[in-house]
Amino acid sequence: MTAAGVSLPHRRRLSRPDYLLAAAAAVLSAVGLLMIYTVTAPRNEAAGLDPSGDMVRQAFYMAGGVVVFIAASLLSDRRWKALAPYAYGGALLLLLLVLTPIGSMRSGAQRWIPLGPIDLQPAEVAKPAMILALAALLSSGEGGRLGWRRIAQTITLMAVPSALIFVQPDLGTMLVFGFVALAMLFVAGTSVRHIILLLVGAVIALVIAFQVDILKDYQLDRLTGFLNSGEAELTLNYNQTQSQIAIASGGLFGRGLSQGLQTNGAFVPAQRTDFIFTAVAEQLGFAGSAVVLGLFALVVWRLLMTAAAARDRFGYLLAVGAAALVVFHVFVNVGMAQRLMPVTGLPLPLMSYGGSFYGAVALTLGMAHAVWLRRSPVPGERFLL
Amino acid sequence: MRRAWRLAVVGAIFSGLFAVLLLRLWYLQVSTLASALEVAEQQQIRVVTIEAPRGDILDRTGRQLLAGTVATRQLVVDRKLLPAEREEGLINNLAALLGVPADDLRARFEEAGPGARFTLGEEVSEATSVFVLERIEDFPGVVVEPVPVRVYPRGETAAHVLGYIGAPAEEDLQRPEITPRDRVGRFGIERQYDRQLRGTPGRITYRVNAAGEILGIIDEVPPRAGGTVVTSIDLELQDFVERALYDGLSLARRDGKQPIRAAAVVLDPRNGSVLALASVPAYDPSLFSTGRISEEEWARLQRTAALNNFAIQGLYPPASAFKVVPYTLALEQGIYPTVEQDEYAHLLDPTDPTSFYADGDLQFPNTPLLKDWKVHGLINIHTSLEVSSDNYYWGIALKIWENSQNPDLASSENLLQDWARALGFGERTGVDLPFEQAGIVPDRQWFQYHQLNQTGLVRAKGGWSGGDLMNVAIGQGAMVCTPLQLANAFAALVNGGTLWQPRVVLEIRDSAGAPLFTNVNSVVRKIDISPATVASLRADLHGVVASPKGTARAAFQDFGDSLDRVGGKTGTAQIRLPTRLLVVDRSRVPPWREEEVISNLAILVGMTAADVRARFDAAGPDGRVELGEITGATEAYAAKRPDAFPGAVVEEVSEIDTAWFVGVAPLDDPQFVVAVVIEEGGAGGRIAAPTTRAILQYLLGEPVGAIRGGEETD
Repeated sequence: MTAAGVSLPHRRRLSRPDYLLAAAAAVLSAVGLLMIYTVTAPRNEAAGLDPSGDMVRQAFYMAGGVVVFIAASLLSDRRWKALAPYAYGGALLLLLLVLTPIGSMRSGAQRWIPLGPIDLQPAEVAKPAMILALAALLSSGEGGRLGWRRIAQTITLMAVPSALIFVQPDLGTMLVFGFVALAMLFVAGTSVRHIILLLVGAVIALVIAFQVDILKDYQLDRLTGFLNSGEAELTLNYNQTQSQIAIASGGLFGRGLSQGLQTNGAFVPAQRTDFIFTAVAEQLGFAGSAVVLGLFALVVWRLLMTAAAARDRFGYLLAVGAAALVVFHVFVNVGMAQRLMPVTGLPLPLMSYGGSFYGAVALTLGMAHAVWLRRSPVPGERFLL
Repeated sequence: MRRAWRLAVVGAIFSGLFAVLLLRLWYLQVSTLASALEVAEQQQIRVVTIEAPRGDILDRTGRQLLAGTVATRQLVVDRKLLPAEREEGLINNLAALLGVPADDLRARFEEAGPGARFTLGEEVSEATSVFVLERIEDFPGVVVEPVPVRVYPRGETAAHVLGYIGAPAEEDLQRPEITPRDRVGRFGIERQYDRQLRGTPGRITYRVNAAGEILGIIDEVPPRAGGTVVTSIDLELQDFVERALYDGLSLARRDGKQPIRAAAVVLDPRNGSVLALASVPAYDPSLFSTGRISEEEWARLQRTAALNNFAIQGLYPPASAFKVVPYTLALEQGIYPTVEQDEYAHLLDPTDPTSFYADGDLQFPNTPLLKDWKVHGLINIHTSLEVSSDNYYWGIALKIWENSQNPDLASSENLLQDWARALGFGERTGVDLPFEQAGIVPDRQWFQYHQLNQTGLVRAKGGWSGGDLMNVAIGQGAMVCTPLQLANAFAALVNGGTLWQPRVVLEIRDSAGAPLFTNVNSVVRKIDISPATVASLRADLHGVVASPKGTARAAFQDFGDSLDRVGGKTGTAQIRLPTRLLVVDRSRVPPWREEEVISNLAILVGMTAADVRARFDAAGPDGRVELGEITGATEAYAAKRPDAFPGAVVEEVSEIDTAWFVGVAPLDDPQFVVAVVIEEGGAGGRIAAPTTRAILQYLLGEPVGAIRGGEETD
């Protein structure tokens, strides 16, 4: 008699990879590379540098990102859960390090740790670590509704890195933490009443921050500059005004690659990083921008599907956290370029120039993909359905 | 199943966020596309205006250049193409390159204002421009450009005809094509024909980036040069006239006068063309095109009013030169004076109705006794003009006055003024130069207006009287005109009655030589004058210069063979201006102290000792030495030191004569009318007549004799 019917612990075969997710991420990365080239080439050329210098550097970051994604996917979701405390601790360590003289100061903020050829931004690395830690916290213990105790633990978990990030200062990353945590708390089963109370609390906290002058002047300026959008196109609103002009002058089908006059004329500052979307909109028009937004929507949809297919509560929460991260970054970044949101300096996932955030997004997607690869084909073995 | 709805809610919220982005994108890229493109265009494009070369101004032959435009290689800074943060660096680099203080350059930048395009002002060498172009990264916003600069190769010659250019005034800015950075004609032909001269500026449209750096040229429209103006000015004659005026001023100075200025007009009475028009002292119009003029130079121009064209702006009583008007009136209307005192009646020529005995004075009811400048005795209309008898013309005025008072005749009391106005007095001649004055022809209406409004031009009490009319008849009192007006009236009288509108521009051609505008000679009006009267006037004008009693005979005695072909009329205007003159009685200066006294006087009046010595010599051993006007402070200084200035007295002179002469040649077919005025120069026959004589000699090809004093006359 064989041990039929007896379930033996076995190493489960991995499910089919999420090709749609990978393809969408790859296309977005490729478009990002192209945009970085069109934005930087004229200026590099004018400065006597290699026109494709920035693009090549970003391509190296992307290659690294692919490695990170594959490696993260191969690690089991259970293993990830086990790693959560270490990841959280490591992120805190980096956030502390960046405030020491090791961290380098740029444009009034201390955000970078120089690591040989690359500058590491601990705040970006902290994003996947935070998702991991929250997923681990919210999936531990009993299921069912979450009480105040869990909420308090969640807030505490967030508060420590938030405080460190606040010192840098980096308002955007704090908002990312807040949004991701709120989404995860909600899908974890927090009652709508508690969610509303949390939202109210967040608003009150923001108002107090304004009142007691905790926010740096430039943060206030950005926010108030955004609110007073009628006047002052010259100073605070300059970036957004130029970005809006660039986007609008793209029209339906855009001006064509390297034909963007606003882009070529360097009217939009920080265009390869925070304002990369304006390059898409001016050169590729509404059509191209809609495709890009569609690809982001596809990524988010695949992540939500991952959540739905997750075999347990941890994977479910991890995937939702990843989706929330992408959604929030896309909304705030594109909204900022469209002059719908204030300037917060959040980059566009997969497309903005920069290694740390690209790596962080690759890691986040990779962890979610690890969940996908270990989903159960049997509905009964899934957490949700 | 339990939590599926929560994931769905999250999915819905996320979808909503994407929808918001997509809607906003649609709104921006489809609805605001047009306005965004407009804004984008504005900031991506810089239009730079290229000044058009101003057209040339030529003499009447069309070959001699009076005003032109040359291109000079200059460094031009375009602040629209200069990133603000690089400005300081540029200023330092330019300062090092040009060897000028950085502060001076900074001041120029500030003066030009933000976004301005301005030249650094000086022509630069080719080496300098090559240096800049090779290191253009050190000189952002700097271009090497041919900058048109207005030049006047003849210096002060014809300055008042040409005018000058300068920064636009408020009224110039009303014209749409003028910007505050442009230069416009401010005076003379430069002003009158500014539109035709200035051409059409070109422009270059650049595409620029956010830093203002040029990315490329989108469009380039070359400037179109302005039209070429051909004037009626005879350059050599103009030059001669100006020199003659300076000689005339020197002559007056040798007489101990302090002449202020002189002006002259040479007209062609056959068509109204101005052959020469001068006002001295003049200015060099180039001073204004470079935009830099020293303070001393400016002060001199202000003090001498050199910027005004007194040939068309100066108003002077025409004095005896005006007598040609009542002369013509008398012959045309048969109005001649009659003697008042019977004692002279037997002396008159019974065959000549114009016969008159001039006893030198005239008593008119309610007015002071009028004194002629000389007792002429038995004269008639012809000799009255030669000797310039005031008596005779007072008599004509008196006759007009009496006729108007006579109810049977019912003739106009304004007969003389009507003639004057017909000949162009009291109205602008319409010459194509700006700021021309109209002059005054006084009559009862004019008198009453000014009395009522207390303008100070007329006495406060008493009405318009026959005495006032008599003043008009000899061109005195409130009667004033410009030299051009007087010349033009003479032209109409000697050409048979055609009053031309004078012109200084004959035609304007475009840069290719095709005519743009022809200034046809136009007639203001025809005046009915009989040929006999014209012939009589020409003959009597000749008498002025040739007959034994002619007031200009002395001035014309060495004229030459063509004396028969010239004529003219003197005039000496009294302008009431109380002046204090320093006079030294040489007989009271001890000979052994003479050198010391001359040296003291030279310091006192600000002349060189040699000049004072010359005056002493001119005055003779016991003569009166006139040393000109003296200020109150100088007078007080001299009064305290009588020992230093023996024989010096201050005389108050209330009337300083302004000298006129109007010449005509050739008399059989007049081609030239020359009017000369020397302000506060003395008597017409003495100062203005010899000056005009030289000009007429030049015009008729006679050897030109030195300008020497003529006779003291009217």
